[in-house]
Amino acid sequence: MTQVATHHRELIFSPAIRIFHWLRALSIVVLIATGFYLSWPFLVAPESSDVLVQGWIRFAHIIFGFALTAITIIRFYLFFFSRNSANERRSIKDVLSVKSWIVQIKSYIWMGNLDKAGIYGPLQFVTYVGISFAALFMCITGLVLYANVYHEGFGGLIWDVSAWFTALMGGLAEVRVWHHIMTWAFIIFMVIHVYMAVWSGIRFKHNSVDSIVSGYDYHKDH
Amino acid sequence: MDTHSALYERCKNRLAELRETAPRQTVTLDEKLKENGITRREFMTWSASVTALLALPLPFTSLVSEAAELADRVPLIWLHMAECTGCSESLIRTDTPNLDSLIFDHISLEYHETLMAAAGWQAEENLEHAMEAYKGNYLLAVEGAIPTANNGAFLTVGCKGHTGMHIVKEAAEGAAAIISVGTCAAFGGVQAAAPNPTGAKGVQDVINKPVINLGGCPPSEKNIVGTLMYFIMFGKLPALDMFNRPKWAYGARVHDNCERRGRFDAGEFVETFGDQGAKDGYCLYKVGCKGPYTYNNCPTERFNHHTSWPVLAGHGCIGCSEPNFWDDMADFEKPLGRQLLHGVDATADTIGAVLLGATVVGIGAHAVASLFAKPLEE
Repeated sequence: MTQVATHHRELIFSPAIRIFHWLRALSIVVLIATGFYLSWPFLVAPESSDVLVQGWIRFAHIIFGFALTAITIIRFYLFFFSRNSANERRSIKDVLSVKSWIVQIKSYIWMGNLDKAGIYGPLQFVTYVGISFAALFMCITGLVLYANVYHEGFGGLIWDVSAWFTALMGGLAEVRVWHHIMTWAFIIFMVIHVYMAVWSGIRFKHNSVDSIVSGYDYHKDH
Repeated sequence: MDTHSALYERCKNRLAELRETAPRQTVTLDEKLKENGITRREFMTWSASVTALLALPLPFTSLVSEAAELADRVPLIWLHMAECTGCSESLIRTDTPNLDSLIFDHISLEYHETLMAAAGWQAEENLEHAMEAYKGNYLLAVEGAIPTANNGAFLTVGCKGHTGMHIVKEAAEGAAAIISVGTCAAFGGVQAAAPNPTGAKGVQDVINKPVINLGGCPPSEKNIVGTLMYFIMFGKLPALDMFNRPKWAYGARVHDNCERRGRFDAGEFVETFGDQGAKDGYCLYKVGCKGPYTYNNCPTERFNHHTSWPVLAGHGCIGCSEPNFWDDMADFEKPLGRQLLHGVDATADTIGAVLLGATVVGIGAHAVASLFAKPLEE
């Protein structure tokens, strides 16, 4: 007996986008956890001073910070230049259309379907752009703080521009405070993001959470 | 010619020029040293340490001592604005006259409100005379912020009732170089803290000339004298950092050279003042040390004849050499992550947690409502 497919599938996220999405998610989670320790070292002091608790946690923070920096740059590049991101770029059309905004917001309050030109709705797209720029800000302030701890090598290379940025922010304390405050944008974003991904899959009966793993969305054949 | 030999030549020429000019003291530095029981050996030791302080190689030592002897050829005008005189105190309040205070005594100090004998019209005349006679050659040191609100009326000095703003602008006009001594003169300091009713500003914000900022409340005597020595030796500004502070003094953070840095990396922190960690010399980060955000050489140069500095005495750095420190570094006994944000009286984490809670409640309400919502039509 042959089975007739009722749906056809469409590749909406290229492997690169999926891999970087999850690496970025991992980086953000590790950075939040280690970042809160750096802000308020809550672990009990070790038995011996030879165990560099703060040093190791800072090390992890820096490793994942560099990972996030690399991914942020790559992700900006992919958005603008990748063939597979044409469906992402189409979302700009939705952002510029007032009608599209109304359609999306109505769909979120259970009125009507979510019709859009790209793969993201305008509100969703603007949120992603915002969080991408927040990531950029975190990377820049993080690198400025890094240059102040590691004066040789890469830290030395970016020292002058870091000093310029520090003066722009009004001092290293301001850099540190804003680096801390912006962390909360990521925490709140993550919670809403996960909920909306699950909810829209259920509400609009399409592949949502699984798409960022498999890459495919499914459409019903008519 | 490499950088150091070029600097060496420049310094030699500058000192030769200074030697041509007439000394403005009747007593030489040599005689002053003898009078105060300071030996030649101690003087040379001091010269070597100033050489190291300024990050110059050892052969400059003889030039440093020569410059110290010629200090009475460089006219210095020292103005007091809105401030507490703590910076002058840092320099002159020593139990015995040491070399730093002696050099300050030896330099041709034309006008200094705290130290001069003159008063009233006579003092005013001294200032005007000095500004006229040494026009274009004097070194101007300013201590204190400049109130600018109401056209500077919050500060008037002297019998003519000139505002601080007026005096500084006039004095800056004929100055060969300008040094802002202390955080008030450099960045406005405590007076410029919110809401800043007098509109207090640093010197650099009221005049249009380059200013050397010596942050610190107060700066150490070494940083003040070192800057004077640098000007005497080279007749120009030293290399400056992002906030125009000399790099030789403000090139590294307090945190970078802190004697408790090992404790920081090991995660050994004082939890409350007086606990076992405090007795064992643990890191003061959790009780508010702002050393990680503060550029200064306190751990290496210390204060009061290299006697001590805040962290050695058991309290964290309060970041006094940074711009806007009174607002930015508050609270002084809490780390920045626990800073109460102005206007809302809550930490960023409290606000974040409340917003997160509101988000979760909103999501919950949306999820529950979704259960009852009419399904989409196919």
